[in-house]
Amino acid sequence: MNNPLILCRDLTRQYKMGAVTVHALRGLNLEIATGEFIVLLGPSGSGKTTTLNLVGGLDRPTGGAVLVGGEDITRYNEKQLTRYRREQVGFVFQFFNLIPTLTASENVEFALKLNGSNGRSAASRALELLDIVGLRERANHFPAELSGGEQQRVSIARALANHPALLLCDEPTGNLDVKTGHQVLQAIRDLNREEGTTVILVTHNTAIAPMADRIVRLSDGQIDSITVQDEPELVAELAW
Amino acid sequence: MNKLFMRKTLRDFRASWAQSVALMFIVALGIAAYVALVGSYRDLKSSYDRTYETLHFADATFAVAEAPLAVADELRALAGVTAVTPRLIRDTGYELPDGEPIRARLIGLPQTTQPDVNQLVIAEGQFFSDGATPTSLVEAHFADIYGIQPGDAVTPIINGDSVPLRVAGIGISPEYLIVSPSQQDMFPSARTFAVLWLPLTTVQILTGSNADVVNEFTVLLDETAVADTVIRQIQEILQPYELETTILQTDQPSNALLQQDVAGYKELANMMPAIILLVAAISVYVLLGRMVRAQQPQVGLMKALGYGTSDVLRHYLLFALVIGLVGLVLGVCGGIPLARWVTSTYAQELSIPFVQTQFYPDLVMQSVLISLALCLLAGYGPARSAARLAPAEAMRIDPAVALVNGRQNFLERMLPLPLEMRLPLRNVLRMRRRSLTTGLGIVFAFILVLMVWAMFDSMSIFMDQNFEKVERWDVTAVFDKPQNNATLELVRSWDGVIAAEPIIQLPVTLLTGDEREDVLLTAVQPDQQMHALQLPEGDTATAVLGDNQIVLSQALAEELGLHAGDEITVDTPFGKQAFTVSSTTKELVSTAVYVSIDDALALSPFPMAIFNGLYLQVEPSAVSRIKADLYHLPGTASVARKTDLYNDLLEMLNLFYTFMGVMFLFALGMAFALLFNATTVNVLERQRELATMRSIGTSNWQIAAQITAENVVLWLLCLVPGLLLGYAVALQLGDAFSSELFSLDITIAPTSYVITSLGILLTMLLAAWPAIRRVNRLNLAEATKVLV
Repeated sequence: MNNPLILCRDLTRQYKMGAVTVHALRGLNLEIATGEFIVLLGPSGSGKTTTLNLVGGLDRPTGGAVLVGGEDITRYNEKQLTRYRREQVGFVFQFFNLIPTLTASENVEFALKLNGSNGRSAASRALELLDIVGLRERANHFPAELSGGEQQRVSIARALANHPALLLCDEPTGNLDVKTGHQVLQAIRDLNREEGTTVILVTHNTAIAPMADRIVRLSDGQIDSITVQDEPELVAELAW
Repeated sequence: MNKLFMRKTLRDFRASWAQSVALMFIVALGIAAYVALVGSYRDLKSSYDRTYETLHFADATFAVAEAPLAVADELRALAGVTAVTPRLIRDTGYELPDGEPIRARLIGLPQTTQPDVNQLVIAEGQFFSDGATPTSLVEAHFADIYGIQPGDAVTPIINGDSVPLRVAGIGISPEYLIVSPSQQDMFPSARTFAVLWLPLTTVQILTGSNADVVNEFTVLLDETAVADTVIRQIQEILQPYELETTILQTDQPSNALLQQDVAGYKELANMMPAIILLVAAISVYVLLGRMVRAQQPQVGLMKALGYGTSDVLRHYLLFALVIGLVGLVLGVCGGIPLARWVTSTYAQELSIPFVQTQFYPDLVMQSVLISLALCLLAGYGPARSAARLAPAEAMRIDPAVALVNGRQNFLERMLPLPLEMRLPLRNVLRMRRRSLTTGLGIVFAFILVLMVWAMFDSMSIFMDQNFEKVERWDVTAVFDKPQNNATLELVRSWDGVIAAEPIIQLPVTLLTGDEREDVLLTAVQPDQQMHALQLPEGDTATAVLGDNQIVLSQALAEELGLHAGDEITVDTPFGKQAFTVSSTTKELVSTAVYVSIDDALALSPFPMAIFNGLYLQVEPSAVSRIKADLYHLPGTASVARKTDLYNDLLEMLNLFYTFMGVMFLFALGMAFALLFNATTVNVLERQRELATMRSIGTSNWQIAAQITAENVVLWLLCLVPGLLLGYAVALQLGDAFSSELFSLDITIAPTSYVITSLGILLTMLLAAWPAIRRVNRLNLAEATKVLV
């Protein structure tokens, strides 16, 4: 692959759990191109979330490197990592993780302001982003007034606030029913296709995998297999 | 108890060790305050009682003009009389080393061994020794102030001459634990009043009295005797010898001041720990409740696994019990030595010879009950509500959903603040339960700090007010024989005297309805300038004095329920007279009343204008000389400099300041623990939210700034209620501290409000710092997944 956006090289991650050392990743190598939609698939403990956390700069590896746009983010200090997460990465969490005291639009605005948008332009951009995920009319509602799917879509809008090169989704449908899950996946898929955002989606749900350009199966901290799909399935065709 | 639960309890402590330690600290402070203050009050009281009992403190003292020594035998023969000591008392002057005269009292004792009544403790040296040079025992406070030791010479002024006496020893007397010459002297006067004990014959010879003549009998009564009857019999026996005064133990000047002091201490010793314990109780309830509530999903899990409600309750009660027990042990262990320290400091200050410190098992038992009840109750409420939840419900708790509900309110729509300002405001206003509990901690911190600070301030402001604004004289003279205008004109003619104003001071009794109140009446000229009456706005001294009008101290008027226009009878040594209450004046001394000098003269049997006291304003350079000249006037009983009175009072207030200093440390310690716990829990409850912010690119300092902004908002919201409640509690304390003699008006300096407020803000910001650091070091990958 020429000039991949992300290059994981010999990535290892060990955790000390008392006297036991857990090997979450055992020398993972992976290249991801710009605009690709990758699904990391695997059972619990296979290393998929660890990979996502390392690529997102939420965690540091025990060994190896993560190159994003040619820069090794594992060498970043805390300040640089914060900037990296702010400017290049968007996160979608399993539990939505919205700020409970901010409305839907304010949650998006909050992320916009981190990159210096001023009040009025941030507010109107937040509405645009909510429009993209189909929640413009719910802009002034607090998280507690939104359904799980709506909350997750707000979190997608927030993740996209700063035009991230990379959207990292950790079990984004794990807490949602099928119908809402479809809506969320569609929103992610649209962004990938329309905005060209590179997406890494972690799931243990094999039914979701066919929507990806590539399916990376992990097992015991290593890549088990990679399936390239020239014609990924439409979200509407997915069933679980 | 399930061993696993025990292990979990221990691990819960480890996981939240800082908050647990802060809770234990709060309980410990409450218990320590209770044990130390109530214990030291009991110790002090038993120390006085023991001192009085051991030294045979007189039950009554009878002063006569002159009586033969043998009358003492007549008194001893009375049923109900245990012991009698006849004495010869001569009030005279004393020349300090720099030549300045002060008051002195020579007390002639009939034997060269300890008297039967009012015995002395010889702190240094020995009792009177035989020898060619007359020897004396010097009162301990006076000796201490002027560094007098056995072998030195003391110099009373007798018949105008300075007479050197060798000091045989330093004596501590139950009569002078607080040195006060007479009932009329409201203030202690250790530095301006020398008490010297001498053999009776020495006093007789030095003062030219007849042999075997005495003028005072100190009497000890049998405990079973009917005191009134025996006293009446004694008075009858002494009547032929011109009985002048009968002073019962309760009215004895030192004892009266001491009892006032102890009464004030008792009030504070009961009230302050009560406030601290109450604050501790509510704080533990709130904070422990928050800790238990934060574990609601765990409760759900325990129940889902099959543990019953009672198992869950027992587990959290164990958690509360451990906090209570550790707090109890620390509190009792800290409180007992602290009680001893307070008692010994107090006793040392007053030279109380027989200090008694005890271990009070009942206090410990009460502490056990208080601390355990406190923590069990605090743990029970939240544990019970958590345990009652259906397991699924308890496990599903998500702060994002559970804590915030509702639409944007009107205020939020009206105030289009930028997001950076809206967020901290929302976090405070919409997380109501969290904000209320944190706010309660902040308000308590305000109350604790402000109530003690108010006592410091009030005392200092009141002292300044009294000695600068009210008392405008520099020197005062009291005469034991009435003086006339010739003396006044003479004094006014002296070099260095700027102004001199006559006063008449009389101990009188106010009669109103069934109530009697012994007070000190001061008669002044209505236009006088030396004692500025602190009248309500609109009243002037010239309007409220004269025409049989009387001005009462505000505290006295409140105590007797009197108002302007009420009638009152004044019982004086010369007869009764009706007066109309015209106004009130704010005075340090509660028992002060004022009339015009003309009204007072109308009562007196003397045909001419007379007075028995003088207020003088003098040139600073002439103070010593004028003081000496006043002493040499015939009939002068005492001369005092205002600054000496001020210093004596300040010395007495050392005890107050010691007590308040201890309270201040308690208040600060508890306020810090409260703020630390409240702010820490506040941050830690939101780990996931803050971790999410960091995940999406919020920097560490932005997180710190946001938490700081929230704390500032909380502080602003608590500012007014905190200050108001702090002031209200201080008012209650002021009331409790005020006695029949002194009234303490609660005033808090504006700077104290500012320092308290800023101090609390600073403490909040510092207290939040460890939690902020913890959030900023969180494993984001983990923290963003944790539900609660």
